This record gives sequence, structure tokens and C-alpha cells, in this order.
Amino acid sequence: MGLFDFFKKKSEPTYDITNIDVTDLKLGFIFDYELTSWEVTEVYKYDWGDDCFSSEYKIFDGSRTLFLGIEEDDEIYLTITQKLKISAIGDNITDVIVKNERPPSKIRYNGIDYHLESESPGYFNKEGSEQWAEFISWNYEDKEGEEVLNIERWGDFDFEASVGKYIEEYEISNILPKGK
Amino acid sequence: MGLFNRIFKIGQAEAHSIVEKLEDPIKLTEQGIRDLKKDLDNSLQALAEVKAACIRSKRDLESSKNQSKSYESKAILLIQKAERSEISIEDADRLASEALSLKATIDEDIIRNQNDCSMFDKNISQLDANVMKLRSTITKYENELKTLKARSRVSEATKKLNKSMTNIDGSGTIAMLEKMKDKVAQNEALAEAYGDIAGQPSSVDDEINSVLNTSNSGSDALAALKAKLVK
Repeated sequence: MGLFDFFKKKSEPTYDITNIDVTDLKLGFIFDYELTSWEVTEVYKYDWGDDCFSSEYKIFDGSRTLFLGIEEDDEIYLTITQKLKISAIGDNITDVIVKNERPPSKIRYNGIDYHLESESPGYFNKEGSEQWAEFISWNYEDKEGEEVLNIERWGDFDFEASVGKYIEEYEISNILPKGK
Repeated sequence: MGLFNRIFKIGQAEAHSIVEKLEDPIKLTEQGIRDLKKDLDNSLQALAEVKAACIRSKRDLESSKNQSKSYESKAILLIQKAERSEISIEDADRLASEALSLKATIDEDIIRNQNDCSMFDKNISQLDANVMKLRSTITKYENELKTLKARSRVSEATKKLNKSMTNIDGSGTIAMLEKMKDKVAQNEALAEAYGDIAGQPSSVDDEINSVLNTSNSGSDALAALKAKLVK
């Protein structure tokens, strides 16, 4: 500690230390979900236009990698998803998208019927990078609105898919700030 | 006790008295809570570090387990190949032994990783307990501060009210009220007197005119009534 360090303004945490919630999550934060500790290893931002943004966190528990999605729209919507091979959804799903410029309105995967809920063009940014990539996302939900499935198109023939479910805020607990 | 000692004691007592007057229990409690929150932040970060280390250790453990399995499978494959005469028994034994020796090294890593994991779990439990204790202390202090602030506000308000009550110049106010009453009474008497004076005729002519006017107005009214009846 230098002589003048004493006078330097100490950076205050951006969160309330006695009440850190999911919207405070940052790279390196750790939280508990389903009795396991998860570390935030990457942070993504999505810009959907009209000042509408959402966040996604790549999380790792030592063996599994999942994605925690957070969307704030009047209330907080949380999703836990995992990557899925697009071919797992259907053999010719990419052909259908290329041909019709959109996927089918109904998809059956793993015994669940998913219905197309929305089509959202947007921009993606990985925290730490200046670049924003354009893409289009198709969001599916089951009839109960509990299970989710997403298909994303990043280029002419570049697709990604993920599957998961909505979770409640209380399911994320013991949020800890990044260690020094 | 010597003179200087006594003077020193007086000085000490005065200094304590001044410091005590300067002390604001609310501000001191708030500072105490801020300090505790800093401690909590540091503890949470320490806990996060240990949890992160535990996650990495689990990742290493998984990876080591997979590697160990892989070497074991390779050793089995080599023996099977030798049994099918695809390679010589000597080569198979040599390679299989090497694979098993590598597996043994990895198994040592697995044991180390498992020990690390248990040690981290132990540390996590200890830190968790400390964090919980610190959290509950902060919550307790914050609640106490809320109560203290409320009590302070009430006592301040009461003090102000009581002070204003004692500051009321009873005799002065009452005297002013009495004065006011007298003044009002005087004004009322004066108004009455003026009224009486205004009602009295000031001269004989006025008296005559007054009588005439009164009777005239009466006879005029009578005449009007009679005319009305005739119609």
C-alpha cells in the first residue's frame, strides 16, 4: 500500500452485500442451484431493439455447463438451458428454415410438444468484446409455458439450439461475489 | 494526590465529557454496520474463492476419472488384441503395463483431487457458518438501528414539544389575552354608546321631523292598503 493509496477513493460494490440477487450476477460470481455451486464463466448481452436487453450467463459446476438467461420485463424471467445439437430436433430442420426463412410452428423434442412463441431478431455481445453479432432467435414453449426450446440462426447455414425450462428466482441462492 | 495529578485528572474528565457530547450513537452504529458489511464482503469473496477452487477441483477430478478409465480401456483392448493374435503378447503386455502405470499415476491425482474436494467442502462449511453469523449480526444491528432511529425521532419530537410548552410565556400570553378582552369590551361599549347617541334627536326640529316622518310613512302605508282593498 503506497503512502497516497489511503486517499484513493475505494470502489464500492455495485450490489447490496446483504442481499445480492440474480440481476447483480457478474463474471466470476458463484451461486447455488439444485444443491450445486455454479460459477459464472462467461457473460453475454442481447440487444433486441427498442431499448430491450437481456442477459445470459454461461455457468459451470465442475462437470456440466448450463446457461442462465435473465430477462427483465415488468418481472424477472429466468431460464436454465443447455446446448442442443440442431440435428437432435429433426433431421431436416435446417433445410426447412433455409427454405421457409423460419422453422416450423410446432416442434416435438424428447416427448414434449413445443410451440413457436416468438421470432426475435437481435444482436449478441460477449462481455469483454466490442463486437456485436446479428442473429435471429425463434423461441418455443410447451403448452404449460414451463419448458423452453430456442433455435438461433447466425448466418446462412449456421444454427444453434438450446433446450431448458423456466425457473423461479428463489431457486438461485447463496450468490457470492467474485473472489479477489 | 499531587497538584499536577489533580489538574491532569480535571483535564482528562473535561476531555471525556467533550468527546461524549460529540458522540452520536446513531452515526456510530451506522459506521459499525458499514464496517461489518465490509467484513461480510471480504468473507463472501473468500467463500467464493474456495467454492471456485472446489468447482475446479471437481472438474479436474472428472477429467482424471475419464483419463483413468480411458487408460484402463486401452490396456483391456491391448490384451484382447493379443488374445486375437493381432499383436504379440510381449508388446501387448508392455503397452498394457505402461497404460496401467499411467492409470496409476492418474489415480493418485484422483485421490489428491478427492482430498482437495473434501478439504474445500470442510472450508466451505466453516466459512458458510461465519458468513451466516456475520449476516445475522448485521441484520440484528440494522434492526436495532431502525428502532434506535425511531426512538431518537420520537424523543426529539417530544423534547421539542416539551420545550415549546415550557417556553410558552404563560403570564405574558394570558396578560395579552386579558388586554385583548378589555379592548374588545371597550370597543363594544363604545359602539353601543355611539348607537345610543345616533338614535337620539339632536335638535327640536329633528324631533318634529322625526315624528312627522314616522306618522307620514304610517298614513301613506294605510292609504296604500285602503286603495288595494277598493280595487
